[in-house]
Amino acid sequence: MDVTVNRFLKILLALLFFAALIWITVKLSNIITIFIIGALLAYILDPITSFLEYKGMTRMQATSVVFLLLALVLFLFIYFVVPLIVDQVKVIQHTFSSGQGTEAIQRMEQSLKESIPMLKNVDLDITTKLHEAINHFSNSIFSLVGSLISLITTLVVIPFVVFFLLKDGRNIKKGMVSIIPNRYFEMTLNLLYKTDQQIGGYLRGQFFDAAIIGFLSVIALWILHVPYFLLIGVFAGLANMVPFVGPLTGAIVAILVVFVTNGTVNQMIMVAAAFAIIQLLDNVVVQPLVVAGSVQMHPLIVLFAVIIGGQFWGVLGMFLAVPAAAVLKVLLVELYNLYRTINLSQQ
Amino acid sequence: MKEDSLWTNIFRKQSNEKVDTLVVLKKIPLFRDLSRKELRQLERILHQRTYKQNEVIFNEGQPGVGMYIIDSGEVHITIGPEQKVLAVLTKGDFFGEMALLLEAPRTASAIASKPSKLYGFFQPDLFSILETFPRTGNKILLRLSQMIAERLRHSNLENQELRKKLDSLTKKEQ
Repeated sequence: MDVTVNRFLKILLALLFFAALIWITVKLSNIITIFIIGALLAYILDPITSFLEYKGMTRMQATSVVFLLLALVLFLFIYFVVPLIVDQVKVIQHTFSSGQGTEAIQRMEQSLKESIPMLKNVDLDITTKLHEAINHFSNSIFSLVGSLISLITTLVVIPFVVFFLLKDGRNIKKGMVSIIPNRYFEMTLNLLYKTDQQIGGYLRGQFFDAAIIGFLSVIALWILHVPYFLLIGVFAGLANMVPFVGPLTGAIVAILVVFVTNGTVNQMIMVAAAFAIIQLLDNVVVQPLVVAGSVQMHPLIVLFAVIIGGQFWGVLGMFLAVPAAAVLKVLLVELYNLYRTINLSQQ
Repeated sequence: MKEDSLWTNIFRKQSNEKVDTLVVLKKIPLFRDLSRKELRQLERILHQRTYKQNEVIFNEGQPGVGMYIIDSGEVHITIGPEQKVLAVLTKGDFFGEMALLLEAPRTASAIASKPSKLYGFFQPDLFSILETFPRTGNKILLRLSQMIAERLRHSNLENQELRKKLDSLTKKEQ
């Protein structure tokens, strides 16, 4: 009887603990997101720091050099690129509020209804939906940059997190491993290493891949005289980090913008072709070089992971879905192997 | 007791001096070629673990990822369910270094027969040192290869001796 009560109490305590954990995670989700972004950046920059360390610098010096370079890149980005992007967003907002865009959308709605009989009697109301979406998007950008708290967290907390994780990450990891009981210590170390192998290359690869794709898209759209080329190019690069959905979204947005701004069919085809060529280059040259298949998972699992990630954490969730699924895969495979070896040695 | 050549520290040196970690590390054949600076780089990577008396360090059959160096205490290397002792290792000795190269199940168990302080050096640490400090990593790797070759030579000699004994026994029987 006592045993049953004890067990019940234990389960109850465990449930309460998990409920509290979930509650805290939800309450602190903003800070957790900032921490995740910081940790991600530190993780991506770690090989560069290690390389400088290998060249003879101390960890502190190497971290400082990387940090200064990062600050320079960030400064150049904020100084030159961000004002252009903000201007382009403002122009889009203005276009819509002045009614120029609305006319084009209505034209598109009409032609869609004519070409697809199924949609004849359906009120698509694309104008309102798009208007809302653009307003929401630009508002969220302005609120992110505008609100003081976001500004402080973005400009101060993230660099702090990146700096200290980059400098002390190894010691933090070692300290965390040191509190693991002897029994699970070797297994944990092995799991950490395998996970790092699986996701490290993937995350770093995706980051550089996004930069390359973004750059190529900006150049292609600029050559094709697509309005807001910088905004769409940056968006296409960022979107590319999300498997499957990302590359397609970038292309669709670019084609839509050409259509809305009274572009010719020829121009639309050219934009589509440009994105197709960029994707081809990405799949044939860039991806094999930088991402190098570090995460070996079935495309279907990747797709599901992306959808689930998007449901819970939005865009960040979609981006983190693949590495998270990879971690889960490593954990399951290793635990299964451990279970099998223990079972075999007992037989 | 005849000690097993694979597990016994055949590189053991008899000396009682020391105190600090660097001295313990310098005595390990694997790290013998390292300078003081390189040893300090290594020390930052090593994992320090403490074990109670009779606590299992690893079990036979478990996947192994690295080696342990004894800083203080005593470790028994045992085999089989009856826990037959293959070797008794003390301060400055090390075990499990094969797992640094080969991720295979442990061929024996290690149990702390006295309260012990060990340093763990694992495959991921070796790879990390090879990437960050390749000169240090290469020195360790070269030593490791020499040690494994030496163990192989040792086992080979034992093997030859046993074969001779077996031959003489079969001749006697005939």
